[in-house]
Amino acid sequence: MTHAVTVLMLQLAALLIAALFAGQLFERVLRLPRVLGELSGGLIVGPFLLGRIPIPGLHQPLFPLDQGGVLPVSVELYGIAVLASIILLFLAGLETDLPTFIRFSGVAGGVGLGGVVVSFVVGAGAAVVFLPGVRGFGDPQALFLGTLATATSVGITARILSEKRRMSSPEGVTILAAAVLDDVIGIILLAVVVALARVTDSAVDWAQIGRIALRAFAFWIGSTAIGILVAPWLVRGLKRLQSIEVIAGVSFGLALLLAGVAEMMGLAMVIGAYVTGLALSRTDVADEVREQLHGLYAFLVPLFFAVMGLMVDFSAIGPVLVFGLLFAVLGMASKIVGCGLPAMALGFNLRGALRIGAGMLPRGEVTLIVAGIGLSSGAIGSDLFGVAVMTLLVSSVVAPPLLSRSLDGPSGYRRADRAAADRGTRQVILKLPSPAAAEFLRGRIIAAFRGEGFFATRVDLKDPIYRIRHDEINISLVQDGASITLSTPVEHEQLVRLVLIEELVELKALMGGLETAAKEASDRLVDGLFEE
Amino acid sequence: MNLRKVLTVSRIFPWIEASDKDAAIREMVRLLAASRGVTEIGPLLAAVLAREAKESTALEHGIAVPHGKTDAVDDLFAGIGRVPEGVDFGARDGEPARILVMTISPLARTGPHLQFLAEVMRLLRDPVRRQGILDAPDAATILRLVVA
Repeated sequence: MTHAVTVLMLQLAALLIAALFAGQLFERVLRLPRVLGELSGGLIVGPFLLGRIPIPGLHQPLFPLDQGGVLPVSVELYGIAVLASIILLFLAGLETDLPTFIRFSGVAGGVGLGGVVVSFVVGAGAAVVFLPGVRGFGDPQALFLGTLATATSVGITARILSEKRRMSSPEGVTILAAAVLDDVIGIILLAVVVALARVTDSAVDWAQIGRIALRAFAFWIGSTAIGILVAPWLVRGLKRLQSIEVIAGVSFGLALLLAGVAEMMGLAMVIGAYVTGLALSRTDVADEVREQLHGLYAFLVPLFFAVMGLMVDFSAIGPVLVFGLLFAVLGMASKIVGCGLPAMALGFNLRGALRIGAGMLPRGEVTLIVAGIGLSSGAIGSDLFGVAVMTLLVSSVVAPPLLSRSLDGPSGYRRADRAAADRGTRQVILKLPSPAAAEFLRGRIIAAFRGEGFFATRVDLKDPIYRIRHDEINISLVQDGASITLSTPVEHEQLVRLVLIEELVELKALMGGLETAAKEASDRLVDGLFEE
Repeated sequence: MNLRKVLTVSRIFPWIEASDKDAAIREMVRLLAASRGVTEIGPLLAAVLAREAKESTALEHGIAVPHGKTDAVDDLFAGIGRVPEGVDFGARDGEPARILVMTISPLARTGPHLQFLAEVMRLLRDPVRRQGILDAPDAATILRLVVA
């Protein structure tokens, strides 16, 4: 027991340090996504490379290969990786902008749905055509590869859109809204596939698939609907305790509870975590909960990627190397076609369609979560797990420059009404004499909203962008140099204006008093310079 | 926000008589305090006048929003007053204030002080509703126009 825990601690130390250093190296030096670095960190210290070397004093290698199960990691370490994936998906659910998803479901729905359907069919089809032993779409291997091909991770896309100042372009809005739909469908798909893989072999009948799919979908939709109804009531109750730590802790506890329930229902744990996040995403404490859990996320999530990295077995990838590359290329092509064609039907030109397709290319954590679940359940082997990692690698390297280059040039929209996406929103802009003055006023505005019972959270660590929320009211504040812009739904414009008027009145009063006091204080300070 | 939770007919004062801004504020504070069973109006009045001294709370179209924060109250005091003759609040459009929307809220506690004002302002953007308030025969009609 003590020995096992000692080994676990040493493993965690090696993984955490390797993942964080490699992550930084990839991001800062190689300009590649940090997740690839974290994955590589795990791969290097894992049982297939350095981890196999016996350590003196420990009387065994740090990562012994034979763990008595299907995975090359211990149950304890895998448990910690699962905990990390629960946090990851819980936070992904919390970040889901459900109103945007609902508002744009018509426009971006076609794009998201097209991408998911085409890439699933192509992914699963590739397994049927190229993998020996896979007899049809109902085969767990085909289902897992299909699901792997659907997952989009728009974190990288969002960063590029932001750098190129295209975040609020029709393409940007469409990509971000479609990605939400993509996530939601991807999670439902994962729920169905996991449920299927656990009970079937390749000779499955479609009626049974239908029943299982229906049960998984019913659990997902049912628990999401109940969650959304119960969450505001629950949060109101928790708020009485006046401790955001308790609210965040209980929320995470609920995510773990639902993860367990989802597992008991024959679905993946991450589904329960995502549903809990989704249910809480519409409450005004969502951003605060996210902020509270950020520390936990920052430590555990690199560990998750490192554990996924250490499960990569090079010797198993060799025979499927060609298939892996083909799968990665087909996956990208199917995303571009699947998302691009509906985009063209929705008013974008070819350039716009390509931008949207390229924006939906990057893959990330969900790909690995799907692959990890597939591997641990025995539905896929180390070879296909390697294929998943290759897909992630190829798309992460190819997608960013492709998207970045495609964003240059004129508009990708055919129609004139480009402002349609921003209808119903008003902007209130304040120009201050200097960035320092704007920063000072920004702090006061945030404090004023908090004084009104709002929750204000900085959403970007680099740029001063804030989300200010209270129940259904959702306001954003952006400081750009000496100007402050508040975007608000038209029905809350009066509130924003009143808050700003009050703060400017206070500021003027403060400045008036400060000018006199500063003059006197400055005189006294100068006098003091020459006093003996 | 739900105005019904804050406003009742006893917090609508349709017949305020005042010769100037200070007198109008004093009368409105007195009526609002009385509607909540508070007789000691000194700190409440001081808070509203202190805010007014920084800058006039007059908006446009005959509306003013005198307000203040003080720990002499333990929750939001809010009411609507009508000054039929109008009183000069120093508005930019020069119109005398006829509709006064007042809030007095606790200093330290967070609360929907500006949200109340914003919600009423949103309703008073409508000129028909503003005129309706000015023409209303009693407090109940004004309340109906505001919370309807």
